[in-house]
Amino acid sequence: MAAEDPIHQFHIERLVPIHIGGLDISFTNAALFMVLTVLGAGAFLLLSTGSRRVVPGRWQSAAELTYEFVAKTVRDSAGEEGMRFFPFVFALFMFVLVANLWGLFPYFFTVTAQIIVTAALSLAVILTVLIYGLWRHKLHFFHLFVPSGVPKAILPFVVLIEVLSFVSRPISLSIRLFANMLAGHITLKVFAGFVTMLGSLGAVGIVGAILPLAATVGLTALELLVAALQAYVFAVLASLYLNDALHPGH
Amino acid sequence: MALRYGADFVGAVVVGAALGWGVDRLFGTTPFGLIALLIVGFAAGVLNVMRSAGLVSTTPEGRSDFSSLPGKKNGNGK
Repeated sequence: MAAEDPIHQFHIERLVPIHIGGLDISFTNAALFMVLTVLGAGAFLLLSTGSRRVVPGRWQSAAELTYEFVAKTVRDSAGEEGMRFFPFVFALFMFVLVANLWGLFPYFFTVTAQIIVTAALSLAVILTVLIYGLWRHKLHFFHLFVPSGVPKAILPFVVLIEVLSFVSRPISLSIRLFANMLAGHITLKVFAGFVTMLGSLGAVGIVGAILPLAATVGLTALELLVAALQAYVFAVLASLYLNDALHPGH
Repeated sequence: MALRYGADFVGAVVVGAALGWGVDRLFGTTPFGLIALLIVGFAAGVLNVMRSAGLVSTTPEGRSDFSSLPGKKNGNGK
């Protein structure tokens, strides 16, 4: 039943084993699909904007749409000043989106269903917030943890809660993307597995297999929605957190 | 968006538990650090969810503003 094991698709396999000084830095299938993600996003943007026209063609409009979409997201959550982080947020959005979309192909590996990948992405966001916030506002950055309009007596507790809430951000940011992709792909695999299992049961089974097959088609459409939505949610939350680095209080 | 709120809440509780465990390991206060910080993590999780749901507004300076909570006058909380 190895072929129907829904977890097997997340196994990391060494394609080109590389060991340097006891460190295992092998080129794995995860690395391959991260390279493919970057190549896919880069090729899309470079090829579609290669021959820039005043009246855009189909590909150019698609590239302009993604740009406008992310730019509006950043402006809405972090203001005009937040546009200095636009390249970062746009890179995050494109990476997550293209990685999610690659993952929808059968037999492909989903890098965003690996918690270490999503954790690295969200740590990059939080470290940017911390380093930029501290560099720009120095100690004023910590006013972020002091809410306004709270009585002095309970202020220490509120500050503690705010600090915990801040620390939990990279964790919830990475878990959200990881859990969505993992759960979606497992569900898809389980339903697709039902089709083959029922199909091997003879005529009755083949008729019965129509139902999970229809569910698989429907779930694939749902996964396409989730893939785009989670990339958007990641970009929105990243720009919301970057807003804190710009305006932590005075 | 249910999973969005779920991740917000669980993340904070996990951080609270991990910090509490770490404090206990450092100062040998088992199990009080874990208990206390788990509760604080729970509170932070509720705050995260309320912030995601737009019930806690943020001032232009980026601070939390609890005055828009329901039950206070001129609040616009849902």
